Amino acid sequence: MKETWRLIDMRIEDAPTQMAIDEAIAMARLKENTPNTVRLYRWNPSAVSIGYFQSVEKEVNLPACEEHGVDVIRRITGGGAVYHDYDGEITYSVVAPEADPKMPADILESYELICGAIANGLAVLGVDAQFKPVNDIVAGGKKISGNAQTRRHGVVLQHGTVLVDSDIKRMFQVLRVSDAKISDKLIQAVEDRVTNLRRYLGHRVGFDEARKALIKGFEDTFDVALQPGELTDAENRLVKRLHDKYSSREWVFQR
Amino acid sequence: MKRAEYKIPGGKLLAAELDVEGDRMIGVKITGDFFMHPETSIIELEKTLEGAPTADLEKTVNRFFRENDVTLFGIHVEDFVKVVRMALES
Repeated sequence: MKETWRLIDMRIEDAPTQMAIDEAIAMARLKENTPNTVRLYRWNPSAVSIGYFQSVEKEVNLPACEEHGVDVIRRITGGGAVYHDYDGEITYSVVAPEADPKMPADILESYELICGAIANGLAVLGVDAQFKPVNDIVAGGKKISGNAQTRRHGVVLQHGTVLVDSDIKRMFQVLRVSDAKISDKLIQAVEDRVTNLRRYLGHRVGFDEARKALIKGFEDTFDVALQPGELTDAENRLVKRLHDKYSSREWVFQR
Repeated sequence: MKRAEYKIPGGKLLAAELDVEGDRMIGVKITGDFFMHPETSIIELEKTLEGAPTADLEKTVNRFFRENDVTLFGIHVEDFVKVVRMALES
């Protein structure tokens, strides 16, 4: 009998709710003895998430976000800024204890494994994708997924993005790319460093097809069955509380 | 205000801004797309550097990481020293 993990499948929520759900699942995992969990989700409205250590003013074109109705949020995880396009992006998250036999203790190895699950899912769609340290997944040499992990409350929380048909022009309108980062890779135009499923495959992949592939990627990689489920009452109470943190100006503009 | 950006070989970007009063650092702020667990350690590191003599930068940073249980990923202790030094010299 295969081990089962909980799947919270394709909830569409605003940015503070999505980030609150990820943190709530991590907080509850050991304290409330909830199951290991994989989430797939989309952001409505579209949003920019920045890493915990990033400067919101340096990374985000705030007037452009305002103009296009794009939310701005700070994650609890480090890493870079991401444009979560409602019409073109799937975010995943996974929570499992650090001590889980299926979860490598070593941080790089755990990135490699979880990003491998995403790459295996993308392979189902015909995409040849590889984990690229530190925390990216590339296809045809271009970034198709960014990932960020934290470890707290005795658990690993990793979330990341899969670009399905992201509006890459809009992405670079709402994100500000630093001079140092551009000059390092002057050879390639910024837009040439990022791809999505539609660009790579030459046709649009539906959200349902992509989500099924990602589920298979996780199930095969971790040798588990993902069982659709909901948040517990305790998790929902945490979400409510954390939502206030994530939507506060103090949190988003703290650096 | 002094500011510097440093692209760590391998991909991560690190920035520091600060002011200098006499021979001491004030208003130190470190930002970037690196990983550090627990994340709030960055606030403690900034507090540790607040008012520290510029000449003791390396010693102060090294002591912080020796005395605190902090995990770095995509970045090393010396990168923090380097970016703050770059800001000081800017």
